Amino acid sequence: MYRIRFHGRGGQGMKTASRILGTALFLEGYEIQDAPRYGAERRGAPIFAYVRADKKTINERGIITRPDLIIVADDSLIPVPAAGVLAGIVEHTVLLINSDESEQTWQHRLNIRNKIITLPVETEDRAELRFIGATCTGAASRLLGIISLASLEQAIKDELAELGPQIIDKNIHKAKQAYEKVAPNENCVSQGSEITAGKYLPPDWIDLPFEAAHISAPNVWASATSMKVNTGVWRTLRPIIDYERCNKCWWVCSTFCPDSAITVDESGQPHIDYDHCKGCMICVAQCPPHAIETISEQEAAAQDKLKEEETTS
Amino acid sequence: MTRQLLTGNGAAAWGARLAATDYIPAFPITPQTEIIEALANWIDYGEMDTRMVTMESEHSMITAAGAAAATGVRVFSATSSQGLLYAMEMLYTVAGWRAPFVLTNVSRGLAAPITLESDHNDIVAARDSGFLQLHCSTCQEVLDNTLIAFRLAEDKRVRLPVIVNLDGFYLSFTREPVELPEASAAKEYVGEYDPENIQFRASAPVSQAVAVLGGSPYSYFRYETHLAVQNGLTVFNEVADEFAEKFGRQYKTVEAYRMEDAELAFVMMGSFSTKAMEAVDKLRDSGWAIGLCRPRMLRPFPIKQFQEMLSHIKGIAVIDQNISMGMGGVLHTELMAAMYGQPDAPVISSFIGGLGGRDITMEEFFEMANTARNAVEQGQAPSPRLLYSENELREMRKLQSIAKVERDELGQSSGENSGGNTHE
Amino acid sequence: MSEVPMTRYKSLKHMPSTRLLGTGTPMCAGCGGLGALHEIYDILGEKTVFVNAAGCMTLMSVYPFTPFRGSWLYTAMASAPAGAQGIRDALDILIEKKRISKAEDLQVVVLTGDGSAYGMGLSATSGTMERDLDYLYICYDNEGYGNTGQQFSAATPHAAKTSTSMGPRGFSGFKKDLFAIWAAHKPAYVATVIGSEPVDLARKIEKAMQMKGPRMIIALSPCPTGWDYDPKETVEIGKLAVKTGVWPLKEYINGEIIHTKIPRQRQPVEEYLKLQGRFKHLFEPQRNETLISKLQNKIDTYWENIES
Ligand SMILES: Cc1ncc(C[n+]2csc(CCOP(=O)(O)OP(=O)(O)O)c2C)c(N)n1
Ligand code: SF4
Ligand code: SF4
Ligand code: SF4
Repeated sequence: MYRIRFHGRGGQGMKTASRILGTALFLEGYEIQDAPRYGAERRGAPIFAYVRADKKTINERGIITRPDLIIVADDSLIPVPAAGVLAGIVEHTVLLINSDESEQTWQHRLNIRNKIITLPVETEDRAELRFIGATCTGAASRLLGIISLASLEQAIKDELAELGPQIIDKNIHKAKQAYEKVAPNENCVSQGSEITAGKYLPPDWIDLPFEAAHISAPNVWASATSMKVNTGVWRTLRPIIDYERCNKCWWVCSTFCPDSAITVDESGQPHIDYDHCKGCMICVAQCPPHAIETISEQEAAAQDKLKEEETTS
Repeated sequence: MTRQLLTGNGAAAWGARLAATDYIPAFPITPQTEIIEALANWIDYGEMDTRMVTMESEHSMITAAGAAAATGVRVFSATSSQGLLYAMEMLYTVAGWRAPFVLTNVSRGLAAPITLESDHNDIVAARDSGFLQLHCSTCQEVLDNTLIAFRLAEDKRVRLPVIVNLDGFYLSFTREPVELPEASAAKEYVGEYDPENIQFRASAPVSQAVAVLGGSPYSYFRYETHLAVQNGLTVFNEVADEFAEKFGRQYKTVEAYRMEDAELAFVMMGSFSTKAMEAVDKLRDSGWAIGLCRPRMLRPFPIKQFQEMLSHIKGIAVIDQNISMGMGGVLHTELMAAMYGQPDAPVISSFIGGLGGRDITMEEFFEMANTARNAVEQGQAPSPRLLYSENELREMRKLQSIAKVERDELGQSSGENSGGNTHE
Repeated sequence: MSEVPMTRYKSLKHMPSTRLLGTGTPMCAGCGGLGALHEIYDILGEKTVFVNAAGCMTLMSVYPFTPFRGSWLYTAMASAPAGAQGIRDALDILIEKKRISKAEDLQVVVLTGDGSAYGMGLSATSGTMERDLDYLYICYDNEGYGNTGQQFSAATPHAAKTSTSMGPRGFSGFKKDLFAIWAAHKPAYVATVIGSEPVDLARKIEKAMQMKGPRMIIALSPCPTGWDYDPKETVEIGKLAVKTGVWPLKEYINGEIIHTKIPRQRQPVEEYLKLQGRFKHLFEPQRNETLISKLQNKIDTYWENIES
């Protein structure tokens, strides 16, 4: 059985991507299971989706614990523990990452020796990001080596039928590009071995001890613990205040930031909390003197790295 | 202590009064209305220092009850049948809040067809909610168990809502002599409610009943509630013993009547079990070795107590005043589960009786005993039987003909319903 | 309470500059409901217990995370106002019986979406007004069942596309007038607000806090996910809702309805509609003049009655 997991952010189309791949495999005569999985978070929050494909009926269900292929739409997710990108990774797991950085960089950074294929990110335009899904599926199809271009194309048409011919063509184009790009790695994904009942690691079950309600009620006896949640990782765009231009108006940006992510110091100067700013860009749109700029996270990250290097050297 | 005539509803109201309840959200439904009327009256005339508020539905009533308990006051409420079902979402919810309070349910059959009279389908529907359940068979029990219920609910090892169940009409509107505890003694027995850290205070912010994502933490919270419900068995015994010491009346999770040296037993709950006691006496007079085993607690389900009490019993007649559509009597199913795999497990015969307040006659008790005995001899229980006579069906036919039910079909189907094989 | 109380919030510079509501909630980026809530919370302060009904905001508190510095109770979709009743009554009892000091008291605030407020929870809300419950109700109105994927609710405007009104004409029903329904109960206060008008919002919350009894607030809450627009437009769309007259800012007080902001030069409604994907079918593939003018007429009729 092939076990494939997609990781992305809500709104990046990973659910659709997993469906396109599922349909393509189905068209190739495989039995299929595909499903998205998301938590409380919405747009911009980490989600994952998975696809199983086998020549016989699939009885396995739920999350994939030992993936053969992990597809990452957004490399900023990899270091986020909650996203679980690397969960259950085994020796033969292949990673396909949308990233400007090289295989070696990622192997080094993650301290793994798995095969990693990177697809450079081409755009910062939010509208263009919609095609990440198609790019991912195109590449994944080739890596699996069991999906023809014709099936891939048909799957895209089936899954995106509602969106009209223009968008479908654009998606097909993107998928084909990626399909060609990863040609040297055709067929590099292999099916993992199955665990057997003869030899397995037994679960470490315990008898759950009774705990009184003052401990075991579903209550939070504290304030603002949500601040421990780093919603900054949702961001694909970053607002940056140009303090030259900021005229310390009456903190319009802070009042309108829905996420309380702009604090105002005593001098009236606003500061963006990048650990929590979700990148909605309301502050950019509302700042009266247009003192807040937008840059892509990729670019911002590159700048951050430069700065870091400058300070360390 | 004074003895006076009280209805079951009156006894429930007295229970709430003697427990020094702070707060009563209410909503009227027959046959529960007298409870809230009595309480409203006492409050209006200054006999009770309690706030009562009539909500616009039972769903809201249970929400308010849970919310008030979660804020830290002692709460009582009461409902019945449709009301209990209307509140069902909130029964599960407030139990999950770990909000302790006492809810009286006056059992009444469920729609459709709508009826006013008693059976236990309402209360068994609440079986899995996290509320503990105490079932009463006399008006005295209603009062005493209401007081005990507050102790049970508020105990740290439990901290969950408790339902005290009494049957509509047969208890709710029936007067019996009831011994009223002294107010001071009752107050002393129930004690003060300590909400611990589950309360709303300006100085101690808390987010209660927050959402949980992920099966693993969810399993933890749900299972902890289950463990707390199970603790109810131990805690009940303790607080019931204390009650007995103070007031001289002893209650058990499962009550035994003439079970010593019995070979056969009736198992049933609620007010009709006093009729079963009567039947036991009469059968014993005729030389039968028979007793009655009556669960007071349906949740937590007293498995061990059942197993012990029934270990030497050969045959059982379970009488369910409820029916799980497509399965049968709920008590029967649960008892079967409890007894399965026990050494020399008794043969268990199932009877559905008393639906919608239908009477169960003495002769029927005798016949059920007879059936249970035959089942022991044959080593096999008969098919479950609905207590329903040929005469009843004849009467039903008359009603149907007035209702212009197709005569042809009546003719065809008559007689087909009399399945079962032990009617002699 | 007949004279209008003095306000601390005269202009933007009087708006709070510190934030009570914690960061890190799972609400969508650019959520208009969250924006309104944080503005309201800054005025209310932390001596508050929110009683929430099922909806998007339920996921604000997901174990073990909560953005609140005060308290919170999640109830169910239909009965948050009943939860408020239980808490308010319990606090009153505790104070009356001197089991807690007055300093421990909390403002009880119901927080629900429109689905709950306009529909499933309406009977429970009506009950609290009947009983003159002392509490604040905040409905963040995102004009649909947002948490379940924006199906239409009783608050969905005519012609809007939702996941259960995908056809070429969108939603065939009309937005229910909850303001009027609430006002008909003659509660202490009813007001409409919107996050994009923070001064108006702050004054109304401030005013509501000085009153007793049921104080009912509806906050129109632009919802990038459900209304289908770029999240950066949330405030702009909110402002347009006011400027086009789609969302009248008003209050009901002492039996009178007062408009707190009358858009003198009302912009055409299409300025508001155009920005939102849920109304795209009114403009593409071709302009649906009939529907647009129908919507415009409704607004014009409303304001004609006000202005005259
Ligand atoms: C009794 C009940 N029925 C259905 C649901 C499912 N449900 C959860 S949230 C929700 C939508 C609530 O809509 P609204 O009040 O507008 O709040 P929003 O989701 O838009 O924030 C629904 C239908 C529920 N929780 N309870
Ligand atoms: S982009 Fe601006 S308004 Fe949006 S979350 Fe970040 S800081 Fe707040
Ligand atoms: S809105 Fe613009 S000018 Fe005003 S404080 Fe923020 S950044 Fe400065
Ligand atoms: S769906 Fe709309 S209301 Fe709900 S969290 Fe997202 S933006 Fe806010």
